[in-house]
Amino acid sequence: MTTDQHHSVTGGAVKSTAVLDDSENLLSIRNLKVVYNSSIEAVRDVSLSVSAGKIVALLGANGAGKSTILKGVSGVLFTEDGEIENGSINFRGENISELMPDLIVGRGLVQVPEGRRLFAPLTVHENLVMGGHLVGSKVLAERLEFVFELFPRLKEKASHISGYLSGGEQQMVAVGRALMSDPKLLCLDEPSLGLAPQIIDEIFKVLRKLRDENGASILLVEQNAHRALEIADYAYIMENGRVVMDGAADALANNRDVKEFYLGLGEASEGKSMRDVKHYKRRKRWLS
Amino acid sequence: MNYLIQLTATGIAIGAIYGLIAMAFALVYKSTGLINFAQGEVAMMVAYLTWAFAGQFGSGLIGVAVFTIVAGMVLGLVIERLLIRPMMGEPIFSIVLVTIGLAVILRSLVLLIWDASPHPMGIEAASELIRIGNLNMRAGQVFVIGLMGALLVASWAFFRYSRYGIAMRAVADDDRTALLMGVNTARVQAVAWAASSTIAGMAGVCFAALYDISPDIYSIGLKAFPAAILGGLDAVLGSAFGGIIVGLIENMTGGYMSSTIKEISGFVLIVGVLMIRPSGLFGQREIERV
Ligand SMILES: Nc1ncnc2c1ncn2[C@@H]1O[C@H](COP(=O)(O)OP(=O)(O)O)[C@@H](O)[C@H]1O
Ligand SMILES: [Mg+2]
Repeated sequence: MTTDQHHSVTGGAVKSTAVLDDSENLLSIRNLKVVYNSSIEAVRDVSLSVSAGKIVALLGANGAGKSTILKGVSGVLFTEDGEIENGSINFRGENISELMPDLIVGRGLVQVPEGRRLFAPLTVHENLVMGGHLVGSKVLAERLEFVFELFPRLKEKASHISGYLSGGEQQMVAVGRALMSDPKLLCLDEPSLGLAPQIIDEIFKVLRKLRDENGASILLVEQNAHRALEIADYAYIMENGRVVMDGAADALANNRDVKEFYLGLGEASEGKSMRDVKHYKRRKRWLS
Repeated sequence: MNYLIQLTATGIAIGAIYGLIAMAFALVYKSTGLINFAQGEVAMMVAYLTWAFAGQFGSGLIGVAVFTIVAGMVLGLVIERLLIRPMMGEPIFSIVLVTIGLAVILRSLVLLIWDASPHPMGIEAASELIRIGNLNMRAGQVFVIGLMGALLVASWAFFRYSRYGIAMRAVADDDRTALLMGVNTARVQAVAWAASSTIAGMAGVCFAALYDISPDIYSIGLKAFPAAILGGLDAVLGSAFGGIIVGLIENMTGGYMSSTIKEISGFVLIVGVLMIRPSGLFGQREIERV
């Protein structure tokens, strides 16, 4: 990062992903377009990829289209009258954009949904069992052990009704539940939402540990760009349904525009967006 | 005193039949959020099919029992596949209307295939008298109480300990998130329909064995519905108890008051209970999400 920041951010990064070599990517989304109710375009022409053993962050303001991408990846758009109109979602070399959600989970792609979405009347233990719905009982027992080691607090609360836990504990259950099936790719939708800073620390520490010690691959959707860029290897920034910028996480964290618009470190620039930044637009044209 | 005990025992027996149908209501409601207004008609249809089977192949108890279970499962799966699944995603109200249409269709089918007059079911064993102390019970009445008890214990254990039972509760709570956990929610709901129709069918066959088979067997559904509401529509076990309570109250009012009051007593009871406890006696109150 000693040379020109901007150049290293987009220039270098995009070249590497622009090479459509999906073989080394665990997940690769190409030109994805998602429409709700046959009318609302929520995601347009998004391409992104996650390579094995990395944490990739997908950042952007509320309404940018982040959750829509995760719903598309998990195959649950149909429950909200959403549809993939264009593009492909490749997971481990297979196009999964037409698969039913249970088959996608079976392939090893699991999501921690926005707002945790625990089965509130079920106990912590029962929620975890649900996460391992597709695995045999031997694996289930092993995974339970693994999750309890990761979040010792869940072991103490195993028999508690999950709906009555604190927000932080619920997020731990949600992450633990997703880990029960030993996924090849873990997707998380805004795990920091509504949590106290020290709880966020705890959750993110676990994510980092999963990558560093277990070789986990993670797609992390966040509005909290600051936090996400701290642990991510690579990041994409979305605005109005499009990816407007991507690059190595440390480079993005030091990028002037990112600092200004997403990390709140620059001079006040209310009402402006990434798109207003001239040199960025220029680069964008150069890329497309 | 003896009269009271007699009324209690026969009340529990008819209550067990309501309880089984109420469990059937609750099973479908719990896993799909729907009220199957054809529940009584499903019981009737299975009873008629079983009657036809017994007429053809004899009324050996094991054969009748196996046929009842198979007929109930198949009918439930067919209804789910042909009528309910294609309606998924439509407003709940429309789907409930479909079940009302189904009720009418099943009633007409019975009249078309068979006839409107009552027939003995032909299962002699059901009407054998059993004396327990001073109490006179028919074998069918004792059997249906035992059957409901056994199904109560079985479904309690199923929902609490089996992984499929836990998945059913998860689907009931939040089917979209259950999808994200890899649950094939459509299959879970089909299984719920099959189980529900089987249990309702057992109740229909027991009722027909005790009181003859006739097209108005479907009306046990009308008695069981308040029972299910009373127990809490989402509580399978509670619904069964609701059935017992409705059966007891009916028998008491019928025995000590008049048969007119007997007919409405169940409904009077649920109005009273729901005003005090809107989610029923055993229903789950919504857990506030943190
Ligand atoms: N079920 C839905 N039906 C219609 N529009 C939706 C639905 N879900 C999301 N949207 C719209 O799609 C856009 C992207 O939403 P979303 O993917 O939830 O954004 P994010 O997760 O980045 O906040 C928003 O404009 C939102 O209003
Ligand atoms: Mg979102």
